[in-house]
Parts: sequence; structure tokens; C-alpha cells
Amino acid sequence: MIRSTKTWQAVALTAVATLALGACGTTDTGSSSGDGGDSGGDCNFKIAAMGALSGPNASIVVPSVDGAQLALDQWDGGDCTVELERFDTEGDPAKATPVATQIAGDESFIGVIGGAFSGETRATKTIYQDGGIPMISQSATATDLTQDDPVEVFHRLVPYDDYQGAAIAKYLLDEVGASKVFVIDNSEAYGEPLADRVEETLGDAMIQRDKTEVGQTDFAPTIAKMESAEPDAIMYGGYIAEAAPLLKQIRDAGITAPFIGGDGLYGADFGNAVGDAGEDAVVMCPCAPIEGDSTFAADFEEAYGGAPGAYAAEGFDAMTVFLKGLEDGARDRASMLEFVNGYTGDGLSKSIAFDENGDVPQDQVSYWAYKNVGGTLEPEVEVKPAE
Amino acid sequence: MDFDNLINGLDRATLDGITRGSIYALVALGYTMVYGVMKLINFAHSEVFMVGTWTVLGVYTVLGATSSSGTGMVIGATLLALIAAMLASAGTALAVERIAYRPLRKKGAPALIFLITGIGCSMVLVEVFGQVLKYFFGPPFGRVLVNVPAVLETKTVFTIPGVDLAISNTRILIIVGAIVMMVALDTFVNKSRLGRGVRAVAQDPDTASLMGVNQERVIMLVFVLGGAMAGVAALLFTIQYDSTKFDIGFIIGLKAFTAAVLGGIGNLRGALVGGLFLGIVEVYASAIWDSSWTNVYAFVVLVVVLMFRPTGILGESLGKARA
Repeated sequence: MIRSTKTWQAVALTAVATLALGACGTTDTGSSSGDGGDSGGDCNFKIAAMGALSGPNASIVVPSVDGAQLALDQWDGGDCTVELERFDTEGDPAKATPVATQIAGDESFIGVIGGAFSGETRATKTIYQDGGIPMISQSATATDLTQDDPVEVFHRLVPYDDYQGAAIAKYLLDEVGASKVFVIDNSEAYGEPLADRVEETLGDAMIQRDKTEVGQTDFAPTIAKMESAEPDAIMYGGYIAEAAPLLKQIRDAGITAPFIGGDGLYGADFGNAVGDAGEDAVVMCPCAPIEGDSTFAADFEEAYGGAPGAYAAEGFDAMTVFLKGLEDGARDRASMLEFVNGYTGDGLSKSIAFDENGDVPQDQVSYWAYKNVGGTLEPEVEVKPAE
Repeated sequence: MDFDNLINGLDRATLDGITRGSIYALVALGYTMVYGVMKLINFAHSEVFMVGTWTVLGVYTVLGATSSSGTGMVIGATLLALIAAMLASAGTALAVERIAYRPLRKKGAPALIFLITGIGCSMVLVEVFGQVLKYFFGPPFGRVLVNVPAVLETKTVFTIPGVDLAISNTRILIIVGAIVMMVALDTFVNKSRLGRGVRAVAQDPDTASLMGVNQERVIMLVFVLGGAMAGVAALLFTIQYDSTKFDIGFIIGLKAFTAAVLGGIGNLRGALVGGLFLGIVEVYASAIWDSSWTNVYAFVVLVVVLMFRPTGILGESLGKARA
């Protein structure tokens, strides 16, 4: 008994010591870089990347952050030293909020790449707005972020879901030739409005709508509805974590209708998670395929040992905008924000300029349908939403 | 609201509900037995289930079993997975008891402390699979959904005439398996000498000790039995859903706990009734409305039942005549 008490004391002591050290570490970084900012001429900054860097949806986010790191590595900063710091939120708005508070409160951060998902972006954009720190999201597509409730600091390199929803509906009508589409969503900030928009565009071509939830594993009630509705196509608005079991259970039930999802499934893990059941599933993404023989693809492969994944080009572009800002002489958040607001230039993913809401021009965006072939998403066809 | 949908698909919805409920019920046994004997909610029980699902995956991986394996391999792999999952889950339950509860019990800690250490254990186990094992071994460990090979291929065995409802081999296995395990456990507790000890400690620990029942041994026994039942549930879960995840236990554990309370916590047959009832209610409600409200239906039902039967459908107690 005495021995075990001692063990626990030792554990507790270690834990306290670790915490204390950690706290010291943070303070040190904060004060030293704070000094750097005060002295004016120095150019030592950090850029934060915030998103789901672990968890089932990480494969939608990690490549974009790697892309940003690649842009930074290739940059010749002269006197400037810039560091990309990664913050893992698991895509959870509740976990993103403290992260945003930390970033906004640390003056050495001059820009934020993210949030990667819409829910976490919605939860944190006012925190960043209060801190005056410019954000460039590589992949948050919810419409309301810029259309209903815009903040000055928020910019994004992807079009909003109204267009993506329209593109998915168009693919279903024109490419699949569907007339009885079964639409499912995950009842969350990204999936629900996307499915709403698909429903709106499909009109009579939608046969039934069903809602599921994040974290669900058993989709039997949805599948029972599907069996009686006999759809000729299935659309899911949501992320990989739930799409994989859903699609597996659909195929197990012997339903063979084509399955299509939004860019929430546009990650390398989709093919792995869904396995054979995912063969020929289609993922729509507002991102053009990166040419396999481009310099970017080659550099990315050399640095990370694989082809550029989801939103890698957008991540690269987001970092490039910030780095151009530093070259232009932006040395604080206010001047960086001003620079980003007025930025125009050709990026890897598209030619970039932000309107007053922080959106890129919609005519610059191309939508692509990617088909899951043997676990890999291969570009199938470009779709132009009718607007 | 779509009542037609439920009425037209009533047979299918009932089958889905019983399948879901069977798994809830098996996991609920662990909560209910531990509560019956110790008046303690073992919050780490959800992770005892999770460890079982990973064990199934491990056995399949080691044996190299897939859906294309021969019949002998399929039966062998499934049986071995069952035994391994029961052992691993029982072992985990026992370890939780030894590490998180026994030292506290010896010191006479207040009841609240046990809840916190249970929750702590649960978090540790989740992160062991989510992060620690990934650090050492890499995939498949980690915070992602992992496929478990569908060794037992789903095939339609027969169709119920009249309603045209296809019954597959996996459904039969899940429902029959769950009921057989529960009857076996019920018989064990009610008929065997060790079971009598369990009931004695549940009724009156002090008197039971005076009569020569070893209380510590009874407590170990209920953790082992509850864990083994969670192991069975883990195998049946992987057969039905072909996947697992580091935090898979959370929702299932919560629902199983609800099922235990619904049926009457501390009551073995209550766990069965509560589990099936909860599973069916969830699926029916999801058919009428949709699945995004599943948890709301589950807890609305719990509240309504408890308003009229505050001790659950069959009432509390492991020791009394009813159980």
C-alpha cells in the first residue's frame, strides 16, 4: 500500500513538473516574440494552421497544411523568419475555440490558415475578428460564413456551398441521369446546408430526404427508408467518419445506386475507410486536379512522400498570400489584413482576389467529380454549376 | 412525421431494433451486475467493450481471415475471436477493478471517487487506442475508423413468408447469440453456488461475509462476467458493422447504461428487456422522424418510463426473487 502511494505521488509530481515546464515554455516564447514585435524592424512571425490534424477526417486537412509548409520552405524570406505552427482541433468547434483564443492572444501570430471546416470556423471567426488577425481558409465552404454573417478578417480560397450543392445536383442530373435521388445529411454546419442546396436544385428529382448525426454507426433506419424508396442515386452531405459506415451498410443491404458526396469526403482516408463498398463512389470537390507532372506535385511528393492530397494547392496558396504580405512590408496584423483584402495574383489553385465578403470570384472556380477507383480518388469530369 | 413509413416497414424496423437492442443488452449486463453487487456505475465498462472489438480485429489479422476464407477458417476464426474478445474484455474489466476501484475500496473512499476514477480509466483506455498504441505500432491504431474484415459473409438464410422479410445469417447469430449468453448468465447467477454468492453479496454484503462468502472474490467475478459479456457484444458488433474505432464504446456504453436503468439497474433480465426496448424504440422513432434525433428519443423514453416506474421496467435488484 505504501509503495503504491509513493508511486502515485511520483506520478503526480511528474505531472505537475511537466505542466510547470510547459507553462514556462509558453511564456518564454510569448515574451521573446513580443519583444521582437515591439522593436519594429524585426521580421519574426508565426502563422497558425488550425484544423483536424488527427482523427477520421484528418486526411481532408493535413495535405493542405503540408502544402502551406511547402510554400514556406520554398520561400526566400531574406531577413524574415516565419514559422508555421499547427493546431489540431479535430474539426471540433468546442476544441477550436480555446485554440483561437490562444492564437489571437499571441501577437507573434500574423495570420491564420483555416479553419479547415465550417463548424470550427463559425465558432472562431469572431475571436479572430476581435484579435484583428487575418484568416485565409483553404476549405471551409459553408455559405453563411461570408454571405449571412461576414467578418472582415475572414477570407477563403474555395467557393461556398450554394455553388457546390448546385454542382452536385447538376452532376446527378446530367452525368448520372438520376430522377429519384435519396439525399442524406449529417445535421451539422457543413452537411446540412449542402444537402439543402442539393435538394433545392434537384427539385422533383429528389425522392426522399433523411437526416443522420455525427458519430452514428448504425444506419439501419436510413437504409430501411432507402429500400422502400428505391432511389437511382444517393447523395450524402457530411464527412468521411460517418460516410464510410453508411456506404458500407448501403452496399451490404444490396442497394447498388450510385453514391455521391461533397468535398467532406475528399480525403485519402475515404477510400481506406470504406474499402470495397466505396468502389465507384463519387466525391465532388471545388478543386481542380493537380497535374501529376507539375513542379508542385513533384516538390510535394519529394517533401511528403506522396501525391498532393486534399486542398494541398489551396494550402500552398494561402501561405503564399501571407508571405507576399511580409515581402510587401506588412509587419503587423492590421497591415497584413489590409494587404490580404487587396490581394490579387495567380495562385496554384486559381487566380486569387477576395471580394468584400472574403470570397474568391466564383468564375475562377472549377468543380470536379472524383471517382473512387481501388481506394484512390481519380478525376472523372468537370462540372459547371448552372449559375 | 411519416407513420406510413414505419407501418409499411414495421417488420424490418423491428428486426433492426432487436439487432441493435441485443448488443445494448449484452453491454448493459456489465453495468447492471457491477451495480447490483457494489452499487457502483462502472463508467469504464464502455471501453471494456471497445477493447473487445479491437481484439476481434487482432485475431482476424493474425489468422489472416477474410470473407473469402473457407468455411472451416470462418468458423474457427469466429470462435477464436469470440474467446479472445471475451478474455480480453474480462481481463480489461478485471484490471480496471484492480487499479481503479480496489485500492479505493480498501481505504473506504466515498462513492463519488469511484465514479471519477472510472471515468479516468475510460479516458486512459480510449487514448491508449487512439494515441499510445499508434505511437508504438502505427496503423491501424489511431483516431480513425478501422475496418474489421467481414469474415462471416452476410447471406440470406430464409425469408419470412407473408411479410417478405429476409433473415440473414449474421442477424440470427447476433440475436440468438445474445439471448443464449443472457440465459446462460441468468442460470449461472440463479442456480450455481458462485451465483448464490453473488446474490448474497448483492442483498447484504456484511451478512454474506459472515456466512463465509468471499466478497472480494464475488466482486472479481462480476467484473469478469460483465467483461466477458461485453466481449461477446464486441464480436457481434463487429459482425454487424464491420468496423471499430478508439471511441466506439462511448455511445454504446451510454446507451447500454440507459438500457440497464430502463430495465431496472441491478436486474439481469431488466438489462435484456431494457436493451431490446431501447433498440426498438430508437429504430421506430428513426423511421417516423429521422436518425439525427436518436439520442433524444432514447432519453425521452427513459424519462417517461422512470416517471411511472422509478426503478425501471422490471425494478432494481440482483438479489431479490425477481432476478
